[in-house]
Amino acid sequence: MLKVENLYKNFGNIAAVAGISFEVKRGEVFGLLGPNGAGKSTTISIISTLLPPSRGQIFFEGESIFENSRNLRQKLGIVPQDIALYPTLTGYENLRFWGNLYGLKGAELKKRINEVAEIIGLKERLKDKVEKYSGGMKRRLNIGAALLHKPDLLIMDEPTVGIDPQSRSHILETVLKLNAQGMTIIYTTHYMEEAEELCSRICIMDEGKIIASGTKQELVELVKERTRINIKLDNISDNMPQVFKEITGVLDAAILDDTVTLFGENGDILLAEIISKVLEEKSKIQSIDIHKPDLEAVFLHLTGKALRD
Amino acid sequence: MLSIVKLRLLSLRDNYVVFLVMTAMALGFTAVFGIAFNTYRPSVIIVDEDNTPYSAEFMEELKQNKIFKFLDSDKNDAIARVEEGKVLAALIINEGFHDNIERGREINIGQVKIKDDKYLLTLQETVKGIIVKMAGSERISTVTANFVSSQKPGADVEKIKDLAYENVMDSWIFKKPLKVTSTLADTDIQSGYDSMKHSMIGFTVFFSMYTIVFSIGTVLSDKRYKTWDRMLVSPVSMSSILSGTMVVSFLVGMIQMSVLILGGRYLFGLDWGRSLGGIIMVTTVFVFTITSFGLMLSGIVKTEAQLGAVAPVVLTSTSMLGGTMWPLEIVNNKVLLFLAELTPQKWAMQGFLNIAAKGMGFKSAILPSLVLLAMGITFFTIGVKTVKR
Repeated sequence: MLKVENLYKNFGNIAAVAGISFEVKRGEVFGLLGPNGAGKSTTISIISTLLPPSRGQIFFEGESIFENSRNLRQKLGIVPQDIALYPTLTGYENLRFWGNLYGLKGAELKKRINEVAEIIGLKERLKDKVEKYSGGMKRRLNIGAALLHKPDLLIMDEPTVGIDPQSRSHILETVLKLNAQGMTIIYTTHYMEEAEELCSRICIMDEGKIIASGTKQELVELVKERTRINIKLDNISDNMPQVFKEITGVLDAAILDDTVTLFGENGDILLAEIISKVLEEKSKIQSIDIHKPDLEAVFLHLTGKALRD
Repeated sequence: MLSIVKLRLLSLRDNYVVFLVMTAMALGFTAVFGIAFNTYRPSVIIVDEDNTPYSAEFMEELKQNKIFKFLDSDKNDAIARVEEGKVLAALIINEGFHDNIERGREINIGQVKIKDDKYLLTLQETVKGIIVKMAGSERISTVTANFVSSQKPGADVEKIKDLAYENVMDSWIFKKPLKVTSTLADTDIQSGYDSMKHSMIGFTVFFSMYTIVFSIGTVLSDKRYKTWDRMLVSPVSMSSILSGTMVVSFLVGMIQMSVLILGGRYLFGLDWGRSLGGIIMVTTVFVFTITSFGLMLSGIVKTEAQLGAVAPVVLTSTSMLGGTMWPLEIVNNKVLLFLAELTPQKWAMQGFLNIAAKGMGFKSAILPSLVLLAMGITFFTIGVKTVKR
């Protein structure tokens, strides 16, 4: 459905996207996973024709989007990372405007607004001005505005940033329902759990490049039976990851806030040595979590960094 | 494009205050200035060095004028009071005034002043009008007396001349208002300066610009709300987005200008001249130009706050340069006059004043309208290129 070939985007001397290629198949939820600044949003901006690439090509249904963007724009729904709504208008007025932009009008538009309001769970609040909505409600309306014209391809750029767990759960359910109805979705996130839950295939991006791609199982294969251990500490020092790397069997370590993430073989056996190192460093353990191989471990394995850095 | 028009109209629901404030400001300022103009009469001293019946009559004619307060005095006192700023100016009726009128020679009235201003322009026009009237009457009465004496030898020529002069002067009073105005208008010849009209037209131009510029500034709200990018990736083209936005700003500008023009007419009795077509043409082109100017400004600045800071400075300074606050006739500096030519306000004022204040016809509005149109197209082209970013 969508093919990205050797895509580059430079801002001055900075390469935001550095030669990425991938393909999105019809009917799948395709994930772009990576930390902030990995180049996900820039990639999305180029796909949605908002930004021109420095180099490379993108084909939608076999046609270059840079030669004919109209077909793509008519069939594309985009949920931007920022809330892109008019706060002084009501939810209904916002949906009506965005529906109008995609050529919907009259009874058809009204019907779609009702259907979309049902999907996003805002039917009772459409008469209120958006400025009165909670953050989660705004996020849901932001998604609704992209669904009115029943797009073939829906791009969701970090749609759950900064919202309450209930709204997040609602959004994730909505994504799965839309996909079950046949909608193709590109979902960008830096939340590993979301990518794991939603995406049939995932591209992991870092510093403008794709560092790994495949299904979740294929990606996890990269780290085999290796374990990820998260240790929450008091009095954490910057050299803590280096200290842990000295333990035989620890392959990587990274620090994020008050947590050190370790990646190693046979986590159960490593635990005793880890605790001993913590005591040597005169730090206190708040909690320890041992995880089975997952995307966080893959990212740590490939980049030496925690995913949410 | 229709969807963008609908959106902009919806947004007006929350931004109508700017429209109302600017309209109220323009009408309020006109009311204040109107009251000031009606009660304030600048003083002018008349010094009679001719001391003849003609000079006395000239003074009487001047004193009938309602714009100025005329006082008699001697030359030294007049000069001193002008220097002290106690009076606007002094008029010196030089010796030989009577003879010059009688013999049809050039008449020289001395003027003592400190600086030029809009009142002095009016004073000069007033003096010129009275002299033309007296010289004309003198000529007609002489011709009449000579004709009668040639037909009736022995008739008292001086008596006939005096009677004829008196009758001609009376007939001026009777016929002056309508006859003079219509003659000047038909020939597109410029007549006098009217400071009240200048003020009303100046405020109309000045305040309407704010409404128009801030109305087109909604593209900056779109950028703030991130809806701009979302619109750009929809099937609607950039030209449709800009056209829809421009149409609503243009309509807002036209409505405000119409309210102010009609307000001037019916609230303050302002006569906008005889060429409605000319007024509509200048208004339309001016609103287009300022809408385009607003688009250009919105493209140059990044945020609404920047527009809020930059627009008043740009609009006020160009309005001052362009003569919305005082007539450009009193500006002598060539640099300022050159800069005035580059402002849309100058051309709008010229178009409106030609028709409303100088009584000229439709043709007098064509050149200002063409210049405004050229400016509008230039601003629009720059605006489209800069606002995309």
